[in-house]
Amino acid sequence: MKITRATCIKGLAAGALAALSTACGVSSTVQEVRSAQTDLGDHSIVILSRKHKTQGETEDSFVACVNDSVNRGDDALPVLGEQAFVDATFPWFEPRTAPLDMDDLEKVLNRPLIAERIREIGVRYLIWIEGNTQRSGESGSLQCTVVSGGIPACFGFLSWENGANYEASVWDVHRGTSVGTLSSEASGTSFVPAVVVPLPFIARVQQRACSKLSEQIKQFLGSTA
Amino acid sequence: MQASYWVMSMKLMKLMNKFRAFSARRSIRVLLGIVFALGLAGCKSGAAVTVDIDVPRPLIEPIDVTMGVYFDETLKTFVHQESLEDYGTYSIDIGASQVPVFEQVFDAMFTSTVPMTALSVDNAADDQEQSATAQRIFTSADGRAANLQGILAPTIKEVQFAIPEQTGGEFYEVWINYHIQLFDTDGTLLVNWPLIGYGKANQRNYRAMDQKESGLNSATIWALRDAAALLSFQFRDQAEVQDWLATAAGTTP
Repeated sequence: MKITRATCIKGLAAGALAALSTACGVSSTVQEVRSAQTDLGDHSIVILSRKHKTQGETEDSFVACVNDSVNRGDDALPVLGEQAFVDATFPWFEPRTAPLDMDDLEKVLNRPLIAERIREIGVRYLIWIEGNTQRSGESGSLQCTVVSGGIPACFGFLSWENGANYEASVWDVHRGTSVGTLSSEASGTSFVPAVVVPLPFIARVQQRACSKLSEQIKQFLGSTA
Repeated sequence: MQASYWVMSMKLMKLMNKFRAFSARRSIRVLLGIVFALGLAGCKSGAAVTVDIDVPRPLIEPIDVTMGVYFDETLKTFVHQESLEDYGTYSIDIGASQVPVFEQVFDAMFTSTVPMTALSVDNAADDQEQSATAQRIFTSADGRAANLQGILAPTIKEVQFAIPEQTGGEFYEVWINYHIQLFDTDGTLLVNWPLIGYGKANQRNYRAMDQKESGLNSATIWALRDAAALLSFQFRDQAEVQDWLATAAGTTP
């Protein structure tokens, strides 16, 4: 077999791409603490984010992703949308009025109007999501310019770390207790090498954390353990 | 002859190539200039939002009184406009939301409500400062006599907002400073309760293209909902309101 220069360059390029693709892989960890049995029955769940904090607020896109993922597939759980729940229980779950712990929740649930509304809409479990995805450890540089002939071109190498760290607290509104905590962490390194054309290799850590957390929620509430 | 033609052709081609290169470079410079100018304009462009929303009916036990409710024109047409140095001019129009939001909340707060109009306004009351002499003369909007225990008139004292570029944070924030005025049936101002609705929206939840409008719009909606929530919960807990409920209204909160 004759090895030409072009074949050699193609092989090297493919090898470099493969190496970079592997390098921007995502590693993830999930954890679960169960403190009580769960039984969803014919009821539904609500997935909510905390909105009272001044920093580190959970992204709407992450909550929407978990909502969709939990509500999809063969083992899908019935999910009531966050806005529908917040509207149905107005003004008890607004950013500044939502219960922050079990004592607060008990006080809210002791009000006949709110208890009756929660029964009407058939919600059994509230899942509070906290955490976010952050970018850190950026290194390298990328510079773009217009070379002779008017062609724009970029040169350099940029990389950064992405870390997604989310926690879900599961509250049973019928019993007014916390039934468990689930967490999902994912991290990965993203690269953008550029020789004329920049090639981004993005570590999709938020999507991985979302899919892992969603699977975990399904298992946690789908089983009657 | 053929040789000179060849030389001339070559010269002409070189000239054309130079012209093409110059044109391409110039076009790119012009394009980059336009992009840069647009970028600068984007930074200084500001935003204009109009918020026209309703809130859900609050799940609260009503107070057993018949309350007159009055909305003045300033409230119904309220627009906050502000120019921020380096960040452009901003306009937040919340007038259209005021009546639907307050009607929904007052309807849940009291056993019945009666829309009122103001026949005359005392200057002291117009200052929106609490004053024992502040007095207004109200009449029911349909002209019929109503067995009222009091009249509520919300007013907006001030609106403030902040954008991430100013604060270095990640939120668009809006504060709506209301004064909830309670008059007795003679039109004497009894309570002038300051109520601040606060809302924020994370810039990361919006596309860069229309982030300012979407972020400010969302923050304003949350501020209106927050004011409605606090009004639902806290009005009856104000000491002056409790005194009024115990005496004039003859009921307990």
